[in-house]
Amino acid sequence: MSKKQPKGEYIETDTGNKVSRRSQIIGTTNIILGGKTVIQAEVIIRGDLLRTYPPSNPSEKQGNTVAVAIGRYCFFSRGCELRPPGKLYKGQFSHYPLKIADHVFVGPSSIIEAALIGSHVNIGASVVVGKFAIIKDYVRILDGSVVPPNMVIPSFSVVAGRPARVVGEIAEGEVDGMDLREVYRGVGNA
Amino acid sequence: MASFTPYTYFKCPCTDASIPSRNLGDEQPPETEENSDDDRTFDPRAPRSNYSLYPLEHLLYCEDCHQIRCPRCVLDEIVTWYCPNCLFEVPSSTVKSEGNRCTRSCFQCPICVAPLSVSSLEAPPQGLGAELASQQNGPFVLNCAYCMWSSKEIGIQFEKPNGIFAQLAKIKNGGLPILTAKDRRKDREERKRDFSGSSAAEESQESEAPINLDPNERLDPESQFSNLKAFYQTQMAESSPVSALGFTGDYGYGSPGALSRIMGLYTGGSFADKKSKTKSGTMREARDALEGLQIDPLSSDEAITKLRTEGWESTASAEQRHEQTTHTPFLSDLRPIAYLLRTKRSKRCKTCRHILSKPESKVQTTRFRIRLVALNYIPSITIKPLQPPLPTASPLLAPLKPVQFLLTFKNPLFDSVKVTVATPAKTPGRFPTKVTVLCPQFEVGANTDVWDEALRDNHKSSSLSGEKRRTKAEASEGQHQAEAGKVWERGRNWVSVVVEVVPPSLRIGGSEWLKSEEMKRDSGNVRDGEEVVEIPVFVRVEWEGEVGGEESGLGGGGKEKEVREKRELAYWCVLGLGKVAVD
Repeated sequence: MSKKQPKGEYIETDTGNKVSRRSQIIGTTNIILGGKTVIQAEVIIRGDLLRTYPPSNPSEKQGNTVAVAIGRYCFFSRGCELRPPGKLYKGQFSHYPLKIADHVFVGPSSIIEAALIGSHVNIGASVVVGKFAIIKDYVRILDGSVVPPNMVIPSFSVVAGRPARVVGEIAEGEVDGMDLREVYRGVGNA
Repeated sequence: MASFTPYTYFKCPCTDASIPSRNLGDEQPPETEENSDDDRTFDPRAPRSNYSLYPLEHLLYCEDCHQIRCPRCVLDEIVTWYCPNCLFEVPSSTVKSEGNRCTRSCFQCPICVAPLSVSSLEAPPQGLGAELASQQNGPFVLNCAYCMWSSKEIGIQFEKPNGIFAQLAKIKNGGLPILTAKDRRKDREERKRDFSGSSAAEESQESEAPINLDPNERLDPESQFSNLKAFYQTQMAESSPVSALGFTGDYGYGSPGALSRIMGLYTGGSFADKKSKTKSGTMREARDALEGLQIDPLSSDEAITKLRTEGWESTASAEQRHEQTTHTPFLSDLRPIAYLLRTKRSKRCKTCRHILSKPESKVQTTRFRIRLVALNYIPSITIKPLQPPLPTASPLLAPLKPVQFLLTFKNPLFDSVKVTVATPAKTPGRFPTKVTVLCPQFEVGANTDVWDEALRDNHKSSSLSGEKRRTKAEASEGQHQAEAGKVWERGRNWVSVVVEVVPPSLRIGGSEWLKSEEMKRDSGNVRDGEEVVEIPVFVRVEWEGEVGGEESGLGGGGKEKEVREKRELAYWCVLGLGKVAVD
């Protein structure tokens, strides 16, 4: 994967986020980026899919709802899509927030509709993560897997297949390699 | 063709020693047999070597034995059991009694192995105030979100949304209830009483008592198992000898009956046993369904008619049947699969029983209490082609053309190490690759802090650490020629050396004198894996480590603490460099 981009490819923010000019980020007010996150070209982030009703909690204002919350040192490869999952609950269809922790790598052309993704997760290329899936820390999802809706992937798993199954475990020595700080530094720029 | 990523695999020395030996008090680690390059070069293509090669991340390191430990030579001990779906910790006592599956509401779809969720059959509330409606209390079913299977298809519904495991155990496919163990026991007692009354009742098909007394009734597997178990227990009780003190059966080494039996063996005659054996009867087998006998019907008409009407699509596949505990030829026989519990394990060295890796016992924490990984003790090796390949060029190596690769050794220790690299001139196998290491001996610096280094040589324009070599711009700057005996590049704790490799030609035919010994013996087609250039490399690492704390305390006092003792470690690695193009 070439990290040398033509000039002006990334917009760099104060907190160190590198967002490509060719990415499609909708509903930017509802998206939180942790810092030092790289968003490559053609990435779609649907911040417009919010909860449709505020719960009977009068203190919560409409503007405070967060659709997508992303942690630090994440990397979203080209063509991937982040969509908050939605379901029919008590007669109403509404979307729930998508929360992603630190050091998450998402491969090209993957579609992520999970509810929660833990830290140090490596998602391969062309992966589909179904609605309301919960992925814990230190997980590797191999290329082409389809994670079914509502699946919980425990920590330290290697997951593959359609529907995805746990096919192996992450060895203790691989834990250090899942850190994405070096990858962030390698992204040249803008 | 998929591009090839170069790999390095390390060979664990556990496969050499036949019996693990304790090395307590031994300072030097035992030398491996492959010290000499001439005999017993490691052959990466031998079928056995596959089992001893691991990437560096998978290896652990024992500090007491000063040896690498691979997943095959560590002992696993279970720290916690938990369900991979609800992440609920299960105490080991519950695992022993209830089994190794989740007993709450976690199930997998029998068709596609995806997780099942509980939902109500009741229609969702409509109209105003729908979101404030109370919790559903309709009948509940299990639904698969991946293949849209529902437990309605096998006729199972639940009353409560929790505790599905217990409710499922009571319902058969189709909605009929299964008897629980308690009911079965009561059932058995009552039948035994009726049977002992009339001997002819075994032949009769009609039932006098409220419960069906059919001796050939079709029992589900759980009932059959419990009937058989109870039957055999009564048989054992009747047939085993009753010793003088009234103990039945053999209670192990302690009972007087066993003692007399064992003494009888030594004295040659079995005086005591002869007396008691005449009293007991012989054990017999089960006679009817009450005792657990199930006779398969001679004709499988039912199954055949079902197969004829519903067709092939209604049968369960081999994988689906494999997950079930009972015989399930049809899709309608399949039942939801409870999740198998997963474990957190701690790993111990086989020889010295030192703990190498210990995770926290809480399921939510991902930290480790102890984590001795080989990455922190032995230098890691990364491979890169010396000349960056052109994007248009093929990813394969051209045969018989020398190619140079850059090996980077990164030292994780806090002391500087001396590395000696040795490879056989020709790799073993049918298509030998010629290998030359340009600098077989070199020293790699210690992994000190960046600030220490900067403070020490602040006047020197020191080269930045490994990040620099990542960008392609740097590779073109290193235009200097690869010289024998000199390292290519050096950094704070890493060194790169050049290895020149001449890949073989994969041609089978050709003149006789060009062929290697193995080729002459075995001239089949190029087998899978032979086109990959794999070179075995013997690495010896020497460094001066500090002696452990307890030894420095003995005698001499403070002076002993400064003693630095020479340590070395040697192991084989296999470097996978690339695939050879077929010419």
